[in-house]
Amino acid sequence: MLAAAVALGSALTLAGGCKPQRDPQRLIIGSRNRIDTVDPAGAYTFGAMQLLSAIGDPLYAITSDGRLEPRLATGLPQISDDGLRVQVTLRRDVRFHDGTAFDAAAMVFTLERFLAIGKLSYLLGDRVTAVRALGSHTIELRLKRPFGAMAQLLSAINLTPLSPTAYRHHRRRQWSDRFVGTGPYRLSFFTPQQQRLEPFAQYWGRPAANRGLDLVALGNSTALFGALQSGEVDGLLSTSLELDHQAALQRQARRGQLRQATGPALEIGYLTLLSDQPPLNAVGLRRALALSLDRRRLVQRVSQGLNAPLRGLVPPVLPGGTPEPWPAYDPAAARRLYRQAGYCQGRRLPLELTFRSNIPSDRLFALTWQALLQRDLGDCVDLKVQGMESTTAYRQLGDGAFQLIILDWMGDFPDADNYLMPLLGCDQSQGDRCLKGSSAASGSFWTRPGLEAELRRSASAQGGSRVALLRRIQAQTAAASPYLPLWLVQPRIWVQTSVAQPRFDGSGRVLLQELHRP
Amino acid sequence: MSRSIRLLRYVLARLALAPVMLWLLASLVFLLLRLAPGDPVDALLGSRAPEAAREALRAQLGLDQPLWRQYGGYLLDLLRGDLGTSLTNQQPVRSVIGQTLPASLELGLVALLLAAVVGLAVGFSGIARAEGAVDLGARLFGIGTYALPPFWLAMLAQLVFAVWLGWLPVGGRFPPTLLPPVGSGFYLLDSLRTALFQGQWQNLSGTLRHLVLPACTLALLLSGIFANALRLNLRRAMASDYVEAARSRGLSERRLILRHALPNALLPVLTITGITVASLIGGALLIEVTFSWPGVAARLQEAIAQRDYPLVQGIVVVVAALVVAVTVLVDVLVAWLDPRLEF
Repeated sequence: MLAAAVALGSALTLAGGCKPQRDPQRLIIGSRNRIDTVDPAGAYTFGAMQLLSAIGDPLYAITSDGRLEPRLATGLPQISDDGLRVQVTLRRDVRFHDGTAFDAAAMVFTLERFLAIGKLSYLLGDRVTAVRALGSHTIELRLKRPFGAMAQLLSAINLTPLSPTAYRHHRRRQWSDRFVGTGPYRLSFFTPQQQRLEPFAQYWGRPAANRGLDLVALGNSTALFGALQSGEVDGLLSTSLELDHQAALQRQARRGQLRQATGPALEIGYLTLLSDQPPLNAVGLRRALALSLDRRRLVQRVSQGLNAPLRGLVPPVLPGGTPEPWPAYDPAAARRLYRQAGYCQGRRLPLELTFRSNIPSDRLFALTWQALLQRDLGDCVDLKVQGMESTTAYRQLGDGAFQLIILDWMGDFPDADNYLMPLLGCDQSQGDRCLKGSSAASGSFWTRPGLEAELRRSASAQGGSRVALLRRIQAQTAAASPYLPLWLVQPRIWVQTSVAQPRFDGSGRVLLQELHRP
Repeated sequence: MSRSIRLLRYVLARLALAPVMLWLLASLVFLLLRLAPGDPVDALLGSRAPEAAREALRAQLGLDQPLWRQYGGYLLDLLRGDLGTSLTNQQPVRSVIGQTLPASLELGLVALLLAAVVGLAVGFSGIARAEGAVDLGARLFGIGTYALPPFWLAMLAQLVFAVWLGWLPVGGRFPPTLLPPVGSGFYLLDSLRTALFQGQWQNLSGTLRHLVLPACTLALLLSGIFANALRLNLRRAMASDYVEAARSRGLSERRLILRHALPNALLPVLTITGITVASLIGGALLIEVTFSWPGVAARLQEAIAQRDYPLVQGIVVVVAALVVAVTVLVDVLVAWLDPRLEF
């Protein structure tokens, strides 16, 4: 039977003209990102965000060197003295893909639509009470409380403007398979597995360097790896690619057989410790665990060196991300703390680590750490590991079901507030115990008096004072260790050597419009 | 009562039971999905988003309604033929199934056809001498193909024919550089039409090139079932008294096999074909996932991971209805063809 396939394949190949003729300046980019919806109100996956960044334009963008750059805005936001009103002036030379003009009314339409039906509407809704147009090309956002990272928030690609004319029948419902925005490409064909992008002739900015893109999703990592090897795709995004394949592609890139580009490391992996229940309600034991993590070795074993060790909750590329305050691996110091708590003297601390069974690197981490602990601190700690499907685990996080669980996180826009607030925010507390809020929902239940006020202050502050505040919050959190940062994940793209060197923006997305064959 | 009337009563009884089966299945799927820990909001937002935002999204998706109300609404919609709306992309479930089911059916039917041709050809070895070289080869073929792990064979085929030789695409259903033909959703038929009437032969060759590897892999895995079934039944038929009696009357071996042994040996194969078709409608998951074939099984798997309740329910009900239809059809066909059957 397979021989018949060979024969048929040969026949088709030899028949000539069977392989579709390709325009060398049209590029095919593969990924594992099946995209269910291209509507910015419904999109939430990395793949959808990557697509939206090519067909849409944000008001602001983060450049690859971390600078804030106005895109559809003409300058940085103007913030009122009380910090509660933000004005943004918009470009006048922008057209939507349907030919209509972009203006303040369109931006207000988009933001109100996102607030009403956006799956991630809390991004805006938690901070903004109302949006209105002030003139034809100025909008005003009214805030609930001062927020210093407004421009960064407005760089979220989910807030890319939509044509009110095209979306008039989709004002309060999603339009999953069409997109009419302002980006450098028009979406000319969409299925969850394949999207075709054509350069937009009336684009206001620098035109696309290629004659179009085809984004294809293949269902498994092996197929994607094979597709790049066989030249079936010109480029491959690293999201959801098996780490073995990523490592092999990196080796090929080092040998000059492929080109590789890396983006800013904005995804963090971390452990959450159940800090309000014995035994991990004891700070000493949490500190001991923090000292028991040999991140360098773990990262090498789990990701073959693709990930970087991390000792902070805020990625180092963001303001406030350095220095990294969590302690380095120190088994001797850890043993002292375990001893102080009454362990290591014929008594072992029983712990249970939960990992998400559908994420291979989680499993590998759990087993590797278990083995390392057994080797170095086996007389002090008895770590058991158990797997659980991620959705099931997420449901039980807020119930305090996990003593230790490995999770990951990537902020919806690159700002420290997006990493600290979702892990440390607390609406209602009792001493060091968070009763209600993000800290409880994320499974640690840790807080401390005054932390919430500091978090709010850091959200509204700017510049050096903000960085100092962020460092203090992180240092105090590290001292209590309700979370243990593990590693940073960097997005990557590999392209054939015939394609020019790709680049990422500061939000971790490939600049698809720059891809071309020299 | 004549046999044809009894047959009609049998068919009507089977058809009358079908809605009950579907209702039971739909209710079971509805209940099991809600019993599973985690809901679409957990799958969608993961560990992020404040609790208030999660509750707001639950309300937006209608998940805050009491279970009985959700169930009642679901059954009423089902009676009206409305399968609901996908929670992940707000597309009608009917439309999602309309896009994915033809892909699965196309792959399944082509694979079945290939499997039948190869399997029955191998199975014809049942007329060969028992324990001889031909018989041994056929037996090994049957056991080997049946025992091959689908994902392993699929990945091997991908590696050899797509990566090493570069003859065929690694996965997908249609070349990304072309736009799929518009029509029934069966790309083979649609591209054949555009080739014949519009001269667009690239569509047809693109479809074939993408279909070859998954269809042949699936067919190879299925062919063992046909080969074994025909070989064993043919051997049994050849050793039966009526064949011996026919032989003693001086009939030629050719006539003996084609007119007497083969028709009897093929009847159980027909039943097996029915079961295989039924299992293929939603069951070629590993092949679909490995070859990134956008079929209904792969979509169902994703919908379960996303806890997309309406989509899972819709796919299960539609696939179950098709399975019921196919099994009833095969049962009736067998009952009609085999006068020995009583019902």
